[in-house]
Amino acid sequence: MDYNKVRALVAKYWACETTEEEEAELRQFFASHTEVLPEDLREAAPMFQYFHAAASLELDFPELDVNIFAQQEIVKPAAKIIRPFWHDWMKVAAILVMAFGVGYSIHQFEEKRNMPIAMSKDTFDDPEKAFEETQRALAIIAKNMDKGTKQMEKLSYFNDAVNKVSSN
Amino acid sequence: MSHDLFISQVMPVKPKLLRFAYRLLGNEEDAKDIIQDALLKVWHHKERMNDLQNLEAWCMRITRNLALDRLKSKKFRQADELDNVRELPSATRNPHATMEQSDTMKKVHQVIQALPEKYRTIIQLRDMDGYTYQEIADILEVEMSEVKVNLHRARKTVREQLQNMHVYGLQ
Repeated sequence: MDYNKVRALVAKYWACETTEEEEAELRQFFASHTEVLPEDLREAAPMFQYFHAAASLELDFPELDVNIFAQQEIVKPAAKIIRPFWHDWMKVAAILVMAFGVGYSIHQFEEKRNMPIAMSKDTFDDPEKAFEETQRALAIIAKNMDKGTKQMEKLSYFNDAVNKVSSN
Repeated sequence: MSHDLFISQVMPVKPKLLRFAYRLLGNEEDAKDIIQDALLKVWHHKERMNDLQNLEAWCMRITRNLALDRLKSKKFRQADELDNVRELPSATRNPHATMEQSDTMKKVHQVIQALPEKYRTIIQLRDMDGYTYQEIADILEVEMSEVKVNLHRARKTVREQLQNMHVYGLQ
């Protein structure tokens, strides 16, 4: 192979445009070339020589008896799982309970949402009775407030007496 | 039928698998262990062999995954330093090779080993093993476009290093 062709192939090689055959040619050329190479080809020479040496590497490996592989094969029978007959029924029951729970929750939620706010539960259905009870409650409050007022009056008399004594 | 297929198609690929594992792991003993495991795995899935388009790529993929798992394991914590390079391909192993071990070859070896694993594997599969882009994509389970891009980057990095070597007269 002449040097111009080698130069062209090396340029293609760096651009990753060579075929596998052309790369094999380059490896073979540089590995077998014994003369002094032109300056521009000396850069790539060690690399192709290295590739050629690595590709030729032979390693010892003992002969393999394929029968050894066959002996190592362990065929496990498919495991048979025996389940009680009611296992399947329990699955169905569990699904039904869950569905019932979810349905009930949705139903409760819908009922609460549909109830108008104004229809919150009252303590009395009859307005007159409600009025009477309100009056009675207010009377109790007023009575207790009077009690409190009388106690406060006594306290103020005591206070006045203390002031008079201290001024004398 | 798959037993015969295993003998006729998988066993001949064994040397390539071994070389591949050796480059990934760095030593022969571990490479042999991995290949043993890989072949066993292939054997256990031999029923798939008839459906595969590229049996060799599948075997390489299994080998690579096992090797990477081994590398990740605790026993295999290796410092990723240039000084701790994996073993150089030795001419003494190959009775047909006449190349002597030189400082330059060692430097090239260091440059290749210093590449990120993804770049290093692609450049090895292409430039040492001669796989096509599609085969490399199948082995690495990536898109072909990714293989081309990464190969370009890997070669560019190697070239820069070689230029430095050349300029500073290390050859």
